[in-house]
Amino acid sequence: MSSKKLNFQYRYGFSVPEVSIFKAKKGLSKKLIKKISQLKNEPSWMTELRLKAYQVFINKPMPTWGADLSKINFDEIIYYLKSTDKPKSSWEELPEEIKETYDKIGVPEAEKKFLAGVSAQFESEVVYKSIQKQLQKQGVVFLDMDSGLREYPELVKEYFSKIVSIYDNKFAALNSAVWSGGSFVYVPKGVKVTLPLQAYFRINAQNFGQFERTLIIADEGSYVHYIEGCTAPIYTTSSLHAAVVEIFVKKKARVRYTTVQNWSKNVFNLVTKRSRVEEEGVMEWVDCNLGSQVTMKYPSCILAGEGARGEVLSIAYASSDQVQDAGAKMIHLARNTSSRIISKSISSRGGRTSYRGLVHVGKNAYNSSVYVSCDALILDEKSRSDTYPTMKIENNQVDVQHEATVEKLGEEKILYLQSRGIKKSDAEGLLVNGFIEPITKEIPLEYTVELNRLINLEMSGSVG
Amino acid sequence: MKKIVIKNILNQEKKLIFDKPGDYLVFFENLSGNLIFDIKSSGVNLKILGLYIGRKNQVFKINTFQNHYQPSSTSNLLIKGVFYDQSRFYYQGLIRIEKDAQKSHAYQKNQNLLLSDEAFVFSEPKLEILANDVFCTHGSTTGRLNQEQIFYLQSRGLTKKQAEKLLVDGFINEVKENLG
Repeated sequence: MSSKKLNFQYRYGFSVPEVSIFKAKKGLSKKLIKKISQLKNEPSWMTELRLKAYQVFINKPMPTWGADLSKINFDEIIYYLKSTDKPKSSWEELPEEIKETYDKIGVPEAEKKFLAGVSAQFESEVVYKSIQKQLQKQGVVFLDMDSGLREYPELVKEYFSKIVSIYDNKFAALNSAVWSGGSFVYVPKGVKVTLPLQAYFRINAQNFGQFERTLIIADEGSYVHYIEGCTAPIYTTSSLHAAVVEIFVKKKARVRYTTVQNWSKNVFNLVTKRSRVEEEGVMEWVDCNLGSQVTMKYPSCILAGEGARGEVLSIAYASSDQVQDAGAKMIHLARNTSSRIISKSISSRGGRTSYRGLVHVGKNAYNSSVYVSCDALILDEKSRSDTYPTMKIENNQVDVQHEATVEKLGEEKILYLQSRGIKKSDAEGLLVNGFIEPITKEIPLEYTVELNRLINLEMSGSVG
Repeated sequence: MKKIVIKNILNQEKKLIFDKPGDYLVFFENLSGNLIFDIKSSGVNLKILGLYIGRKNQVFKINTFQNHYQPSSTSNLLIKGVFYDQSRFYYQGLIRIEKDAQKSHAYQKNQNLLLSDEAFVFSEPKLEILANDVFCTHGSTTGRLNQEQIFYLQSRGLTKKQAEKLLVDGFINEVKENLG
């Protein structure tokens, strides 16, 4: 294996000159928060919520568990950046640099491929979105969060911060104080959105932290699939991505939320994702974590209504100097609820993956069932894998199963493939892709292809 | 095979060090505290069996540590619990495989039966693996008795109580059989 191949170059590691119109100074203050809120013309309740959240953020200590976050310097982060005055509605109106960036990620192509609506986040403000007429006809709302707040203030007020409270954790508080961008989705009763809604996320300014806020409300009997794919250019200093996602799944509704994140390897990715599932609703999180320096993310389902179902499928890949601390939380509060967590993690070249999860079956959650399965692959002796599942069971009418395995790639399998003329690194790539296949088959094809290619690239020369 | 029965855990902690190759069997019943198994030799084949029967308002808090420091050893833990009334069970188990402990095999299984609506189980089986050439698994199940089996036994003329007892005995038997 040539040494060139060992140095995997980040695919989207390019950066275009900043075109910001308003850019806040580094660091956070009450004044800045008021300024952000004022610039966005927000209602007073939002300004108050932001200020309250700021206080909570200041008062809360850093988490003492999980990955090492001491490298984050909150004073060195730019908390707000606005690249164009208001979101553009057509591709032609976009600034040239931004278009150039998107061309490299392939947004226009992606759109051609039956995307229901593309909302690309570029430097904290959603600057480009196109919603197909069909969506509007169905009454589906798919906006960036800022526009959502402007156009549907009552709806936002009713749901905003209702699952992830500002008191929840330090980074949720930070997000609540300085949030900008993200998506607002409302699917009316009985409407099934057949094409997935996609948002592309991007961090572009150096030292710039991205604090998007997403709120999805799926009304009774509706269905929607939301996809976020993240790519970011390489920086020399650390970036912080602290997002909050709240999803309301009403009676008999079904929501699937797919994430493929490939942050560049200096980003701290600390995300709070939570959903509340009502009677017979279904929530599915599909979560693929490849990039970033540190990821701490535990998508959660609060199964609040009878017969609600939650599912988390996740992949974590940690290479050198990366920590993927990912997992899931299932909180069963009602009868006949069921949940399933399937986690696959791979650590190589000194990377560390951890599965951290919680299953809580409450007193009234009779006849509930839980299935948790965590499989880990360790590819070399420098790498590490941990599993920290927690199960709290408070009634006896339940079935809870948890299993985990940790192993290395099967030598016999590699030898067999080599005997058929396949190079060792290709054989390893093949086996790793086979290992994550149960999850990759659940995500859209273009992401599967990219994921497989990324893993092949990472694999080439990683063992031996 | 060397058999060790732990009768009590003084001062909340008991450490067993395995520094010679061989087959070992450790058994304990209804104990609370920290149980540390340090495997400091190759060729250790350690079987750990735990049994818990909780009644009334009994509370058990047990933490086990399977620490592999040397290569090519095996540890296999099985803890079974049956909980009646308002009994509570807190279990935390850790398998830790250090860098040098390649070719370790470590297993951890915790299975619990809840016989009452008011019983409570907390189970946290953890893995920390720093070596790569290992095979580790853990599993945890918590649930009630198989309702179909109870129904079957009732259809053969057993009372519900008798059927339950039969199934609980069968569940516990896995530990007892292993004890030899």
